Amino acid sequence: MIHQSAIDAAGRQAAQIQGLFWFFIVLLGGIFLIVVALMLGPLFCRHRGLDREPLEQTHTPSIETERKLTHRVGWATGLTVLILLGLVVLSVSTGRSISGGNPPANALTVEIVGNQWWWYIRYLNEDASRVLVTANEMHIPIGRPIVIRGSSHDVIHSFWIPNLHGKRDLIPSHTTTEWFQADHEGRYRGQCAEFCGLQHAHMALWVVAETPAQFDSWMDLQLRPAPAPSDAVKQKGQRIFLDHACVLCHAIRGTTAAAEQAPDLTHLASRSTIGAGTLPNTRGNLADWIADPQNSKPGNHMATVALSREDMPPLLTYLESLK
Amino acid sequence: MMSARSLDLADLPVYSISNRAPLWWGQVMMCAIEGSMLCMLIAIYVYLRLGVDIWPSPGTQLPLLTLPALAWVPLVISTLGSYLASEAAKKDDKRGMILALALNFGMGSLFLVFRFAEWRTFNFTWSTDAHGTIVWTILFLHTFDVIADLLMTLMLLIIVASGKYGPRQRLGVHVDSVIWYFLVAIWLPLYAVIYWGPRIIGSP
Amino acid sequence: MIARTMEETRDVLSRTWSSRGGLAGWFSITTHQEIGKRYITTAFIFLLIGGIEALLMRLQLARPDNTLLSAQRYNQIFTLHGTTMMFLFAVPVMEGMGVYLVPLMLGTRNVAFPRLNAFGYWMYLMGGLFLYAGTFSNSIPDAGWFSYPPLSGPQFSPGKGLDVWGQMITYTEISAMCVAVELIVTIFKMRAPGMSLHRIPMFCWAMLVQSFMVLFAMPAVMLASTVMLVNDRTIGTHFMNPAEGGDPLLYQHVFWFFGHPEVYIIFIPALGMVSSILEANTQRGIFGYSAMVLSLVANGFIAFGLWVHHMFATGLPQIGEAYFTTASMMIGITSGVQIFCWLATLWTGRLRLTAAMHFVFGFIFIFVLGGLTGIMLASIPFDLQAHDTFFVVAHFHYVLIGGALFPLFGGFHYWFPKFNGRLLDEKLGKLTFWTLFLGFNLTFFPMHVLGLNGMTRRIYTYPAEMGWGPANLLATIGALVIALGGIFFIVNVLRSRQSGAVSDNNPWKAGTLEWEPASPPEKYNFELQPVVTGRYPLWEAPEKRAAVTGMREDRREVIVTSVMDGVPQFRMVLPGSSIWPFLTALGFGIGLAGSVVWFSWYFVASALGMFGLIGWFWPYEPGEIEP
Repeated sequence: MIHQSAIDAAGRQAAQIQGLFWFFIVLLGGIFLIVVALMLGPLFCRHRGLDREPLEQTHTPSIETERKLTHRVGWATGLTVLILLGLVVLSVSTGRSISGGNPPANALTVEIVGNQWWWYIRYLNEDASRVLVTANEMHIPIGRPIVIRGSSHDVIHSFWIPNLHGKRDLIPSHTTTEWFQADHEGRYRGQCAEFCGLQHAHMALWVVAETPAQFDSWMDLQLRPAPAPSDAVKQKGQRIFLDHACVLCHAIRGTTAAAEQAPDLTHLASRSTIGAGTLPNTRGNLADWIADPQNSKPGNHMATVALSREDMPPLLTYLESLK
Repeated sequence: MMSARSLDLADLPVYSISNRAPLWWGQVMMCAIEGSMLCMLIAIYVYLRLGVDIWPSPGTQLPLLTLPALAWVPLVISTLGSYLASEAAKKDDKRGMILALALNFGMGSLFLVFRFAEWRTFNFTWSTDAHGTIVWTILFLHTFDVIADLLMTLMLLIIVASGKYGPRQRLGVHVDSVIWYFLVAIWLPLYAVIYWGPRIIGSP
Repeated sequence: MIARTMEETRDVLSRTWSSRGGLAGWFSITTHQEIGKRYITTAFIFLLIGGIEALLMRLQLARPDNTLLSAQRYNQIFTLHGTTMMFLFAVPVMEGMGVYLVPLMLGTRNVAFPRLNAFGYWMYLMGGLFLYAGTFSNSIPDAGWFSYPPLSGPQFSPGKGLDVWGQMITYTEISAMCVAVELIVTIFKMRAPGMSLHRIPMFCWAMLVQSFMVLFAMPAVMLASTVMLVNDRTIGTHFMNPAEGGDPLLYQHVFWFFGHPEVYIIFIPALGMVSSILEANTQRGIFGYSAMVLSLVANGFIAFGLWVHHMFATGLPQIGEAYFTTASMMIGITSGVQIFCWLATLWTGRLRLTAAMHFVFGFIFIFVLGGLTGIMLASIPFDLQAHDTFFVVAHFHYVLIGGALFPLFGGFHYWFPKFNGRLLDEKLGKLTFWTLFLGFNLTFFPMHVLGLNGMTRRIYTYPAEMGWGPANLLATIGALVIALGGIFFIVNVLRSRQSGAVSDNNPWKAGTLEWEPASPPEKYNFELQPVVTGRYPLWEAPEKRAAVTGMREDRREVIVTSVMDGVPQFRMVLPGSSIWPFLTALGFGIGLAGSVVWFSWYFVASALGMFGLIGWFWPYEPGEIEP
């Protein structure tokens, strides 16, 4: 089972929010129980002194009673004000602590652009040769802050990895910023959290948090262009890819395909899912997907490319080689 | 239900052509609604302006100043007509009402003539850019309200002139002035924002 | 003055206040009781429709990877569910209760503007019909009940569905604004002599605050939906188009400036109902009347300063955000004070546990829980996790169903005898309560957990590996239990109307004026308009009670009083039946409907509306001229 959960924190931001959450539950839960007890009290205490007054005539209790009540309501109100003020201070200071001020200095900056219904991911770097474009799955080193600069190519989306941090909307013509840090290795699933149309339900994202060494080797691998086809079948597969409509949307670095309308496929085989988390990345699923993208994710913007039965196996073999 | 005591109100007058009338209150509430909408449009104007560096977009000319400034003249005179009509209504002065309503209607219409003439000088539409959108929206909404009220004034004028009117219609004349005062008063901030705002608060 | 016996007085009043028969007569009615009942009945039908939409959603979500509804269908249904519940049920039903009860509670015979009242109802009905007519012609909105652009804009939602959505709001908001204006003026100017502002029932204070909120909030939604969104979609304006200087976030600001007050507009009348029910069932005046009034007013004001809490994830400046956290938490004080006062009333009254009181207890339980999750959501760090997940869905259903629907059902059980002359069955009423209460918690409590475990809103399905299946199944079962509760209620209503116990004028021995006339009241409400010397006229000693004499019964006469002290100032003759409100609404309605296809139909609407208004105000009857 996948624990895409805000109360299963794997990083310091999510952990602080989780702590805040449990504090709320205990405090506010306690208040709730007190209020319910006060509400049910009159049901069990119907013959208390307070109400033995001749209400049928006066319809108001005595001045004594009203005074007592005024005191109690006054105290309760005062207590409420204090508690709420305390919660304001707590919330604001927690917010400052996790994301106040400017992004931390040693951060890794990643640009995320929302699309209907996939994630464009670009690792920024001062060294232009180390800028990486990928899609739908990102790796991050643990123990280092990651700054997300978010925007959208079409409608409003929202970037959300609950195990790591709260969400940030991706808004066209705006750049929104958020940073978080993973402290535990693992694979964390996230999901678009702003209704973005037909396949909003199938716009997931995987974040793999690994040791800095593992991350560096992943980055080195990803930065290399796609492996050249090593045999005739794969060569045929590459030819099929380049000769069909695929190249109008998808890029594979190392070939002439350079479009950015759809996920970058340079290292497709290194990803665990296809269709932005919709299907596991297996040969069978890839075949189904290419043959009829509308079947698993109806309404998505991938056109159905007419391929003959002989073309599919070599194409699949080629794509599987893009590790 | 039999009650022990009674409060006899037989001597209570039947109408009050004044600010105590429910219709007056109702009209004030309607103006609050319209005013909210127009004030929110001012906020939207400011929001849109602050969102861009260049306002309006290159090639668009800001609305010119002469005609709208001149238009204040018939507008103010028309307000006088409103006031006089309202006073005449209180005194049941038929001739006074007819003249004052006619003054209001005439000057109000002249104001609209200035406005329509001004619109022909705009080199932008509502689909040119955000500036065009918000300016045309504000002007359209305000103009729509002005036309609606002038038609109402005309209707009251016809009714009074026909002689077939009573206290309820006179109350209508009194309350009609509330609408006109509102439309003139709200025009002041709108005018300031549309014509002077971008000129005073920096533009290329 | 003609001296009459009470018998003759009643006859004359009946004739003065009756409407013509037949179809034309039915369309011409301007009495508040009839119009109030129309609002309530129509709203209830939309509640059932919205409920069916909810059941369909729940059936789809009961299992992972379910295929009952396609993505498109699901998206349309959740849009219709939210839109129907918010615009076509929740606000109109509260308005209907206000329109029916307020004149009775104030001791007068009708609202201040009877024809405006009728017009407002017809606009509402037409708005609802318009939305669903669009549904039957496949122009179905599918971008959510708040329809954010760019998704709802011309590029990503071609077709007429969103135009229908945006335009429907024009109808319902015009309707709401009509009711707001007439209730404010009625409450301010048409009270029983002696009823100072400090003596009006809590429900009237609630309707007064709510009506002012409508005046200032509804224009914003008209702007957001009808002006900004529909025009961007149809005539190329650039409010939300970044390419020409617009901004998608502008829509969110304007929409939520309305949207936040909107939820208080829905639930503040319910708070008034709770006070009414509680007073009668504890046989004491509410504790802390002044504090309650101040809380309601403060609630109304503060509600306008919270809207950004719907936008915490959009990356707005932190300083501004901190202000909105503070305001969003501080509004808990106004609710808290009211809860404390109600608890104080409960503890010191002679408690009678009627079916209506069950709903009051249910309200306190559910609403307080929802309010506390609201406090949690006001905290930005937590909100950034919970926003747009099922946690929020749970929160708002707790506060809306707990805060508005439960009091409303309590109100139905409480005021049913007044409306219909017969009591609802108490046992079945209590069964209804328990079914709704248990069903509600079963449906919505698990959603808190689902949201924290990553389930976002507005998804038509989810994979099995997420582990969301069991909680969703529980929620679906709960929804079916709610439906059962609804069926119990409908059965109770239908049976009781025919054969329920006959009710006298004041079955609950309440203290406020709506319980003075017979059940149901005659169309003229009171034979003699009451004079009031205290907050609870029916609890005053009989020798202190007084009534007004010297009014004419042969025309629809009411007393106009001063705002603060209820001193009689003059009399006013209200208009009788008129077909013009209906015709005017029809004219506007046809024009507005046409305008989603051709913009120029706005002018058609205006012209037809103008003709209607001329007919409405033209003094063609002698009674209009010489009172």
